[in-house]
Amino acid sequence: MTTAIQSERTPAIGIVDLHKSFGKLEVLKGITCDIWPGDVVCMIGSSGSGKSTLLRCINYLEPPTAGQVYVHGTPMGRVKAGDGTLRDADQGTLAKQRMRIGFVFQHFNLWPHKTALGNVAEALVVVKGMRRDEATERGTEALRRVDLLDKQDDYPSTLSGGQQQRVAIARMLAMEPDVLLFDEPTSALDPELVGEVIDVMQGLAAEGNTMVVATHELGFARETANRMVFLDDGVIAEEAPTETFFESPRQERTQSFLKRMLKL
Amino acid sequence: MSYEFRFDIVWANIDVLLLGVEMTILLSFMAMVLGTIIGIVTAVIRLRGIRLLSYPMIAYVEVFRGTPALVQIVWIYYCLPIIIGIEMSAFFSLVLAMALNSGAYLSEVFRAGIQGIDKGHIDAAYALGFRSGQVTRRIILPQAAYRMIPAVGNVFITSIKLSSLCSVLGMAELMYQGQLVIANYFRPIEVFTVVAGIYLVMTYSTSLFLIFLERRLAWKKREKVPLREQFKLIWASLFRLSPG
Ligand SMILES: Nc1ncnc2c1ncn2[C@@H]1O[C@H](COP(=O)(O)OP(=O)(O)OP(=O)(O)O)[C@@H](O)[C@H]1O
Ligand SMILES: [Mg+2]
Repeated sequence: MTTAIQSERTPAIGIVDLHKSFGKLEVLKGITCDIWPGDVVCMIGSSGSGKSTLLRCINYLEPPTAGQVYVHGTPMGRVKAGDGTLRDADQGTLAKQRMRIGFVFQHFNLWPHKTALGNVAEALVVVKGMRRDEATERGTEALRRVDLLDKQDDYPSTLSGGQQQRVAIARMLAMEPDVLLFDEPTSALDPELVGEVIDVMQGLAAEGNTMVVATHELGFARETANRMVFLDDGVIAEEAPTETFFESPRQERTQSFLKRMLKL
Repeated sequence: MSYEFRFDIVWANIDVLLLGVEMTILLSFMAMVLGTIIGIVTAVIRLRGIRLLSYPMIAYVEVFRGTPALVQIVWIYYCLPIIIGIEMSAFFSLVLAMALNSGAYLSEVFRAGIQGIDKGHIDAAYALGFRSGQVTRRIILPQAAYRMIPAVGNVFITSIKLSSLCSVLGMAELMYQGQLVIANYFRPIEVFTVVAGIYLVMTYSTSLFLIFLERRLAWKKREKVPLREQFKLIWASLFRLSPG
């Protein structure tokens, strides 16, 4: 009970004045945003606006240049020193924090030398230290959730894009993360394969998972998200409940972006 | 032409040649082992991008790829001991020269093999909570090792052939022993033909072994293939000259 009350007050992910530069190029110019437990937030924005960079900064695949991400109130990638200041966390601490954040990539990133089941079970053995048979059992369960039990012994190269992405989702789910991040999970798919991945994601949203999804699929966003974020030129240009966002966007640039997207 | 082939003379002296085979195998094997270690160390230093150490490694690789192997062997045999003031046995200095030569090529093979791994595979592992050592062992090396086998095989085969240069410095390996037999019986055609044949057997069995290894490590179709079928496949791929 206490945890429920606590999590109502602590965002699952708190992003505070996040900046990220690659050399001279400043990609994120001060992002502040809270993701609450149970939120399904869809993030849209034109190519190059920094969606991937923001998601990668959340789980520290890219260390932010300035600002801080908090996961359930704990600073990501940082630990409190004796004098109360934050310093960079060691590798082990960071790995433990990342374990709780699931990440799905645009290009699936399955390991080609492992079968579907091998991909799903690997982290359970290596990271969670499970026995092989336990991991296999858990992995099979995860593949069942994405409806790919019959493909468990197949190698990624023999699977369709949609199937590969579903294996990647199963690989993430098997680790039982608290927050799920998706970086354009359907952009690399042939149009006829988008649906099967979206079905899985809508299932996850319906189960009450906390999700942040960068996407160009406005239909999916409209149906699934409870909140929308529009990223433009490294800042959050507009943030609103889904309905408000689509019905009556306040910003000029949101309106023109939506118009452009809906025309396509 | 009424040349009378006398392969019986070669056969009568086969023990002399086999002694040379033994030395050739020993030389090449030691050079491969030492060269692999040198190659790994060099590749790791360059991949880590440690400035101070990287530059000497780049220089080393360029020098050994850019000068003739015979010059390297002679230089290390005669000049190196004088320059560094340490006496080395003939066997050791020749192994060292060959190892440095293969090490230079192997480091490039290892470096390319590891750099060739899709960055996304590594990101995926980190995102799941892997640490860097686990990423190296579980994701990078298994993929890199498999991809590098053909290129590593080439270097090993070259190293067997290179060992023949050691005859110039009086090392009693196959080429040298062959010349010994020729000096006694004046039968260069027969002896050199047999010597060439023996080298071919050695290099061919090396590539046979590597193809076998590649098939064992292949991750795609790992259904159980009967042993006889495997040999058929290996034979077939040998004649295609590229493992696959
Ligand atoms: N590792 C990197 N090094 C240098 N520049 C980078 C790097 N990653 C991203 N960028 C740059 O940062 C900017 C934002 O990239 P990002 O991938 O976050 O955009 P995006 O919104 O995800 O776009 P898309 O819709 O095309 O995926 C781009 O200009 C990109 O070139
Ligand atoms: Mg992107």
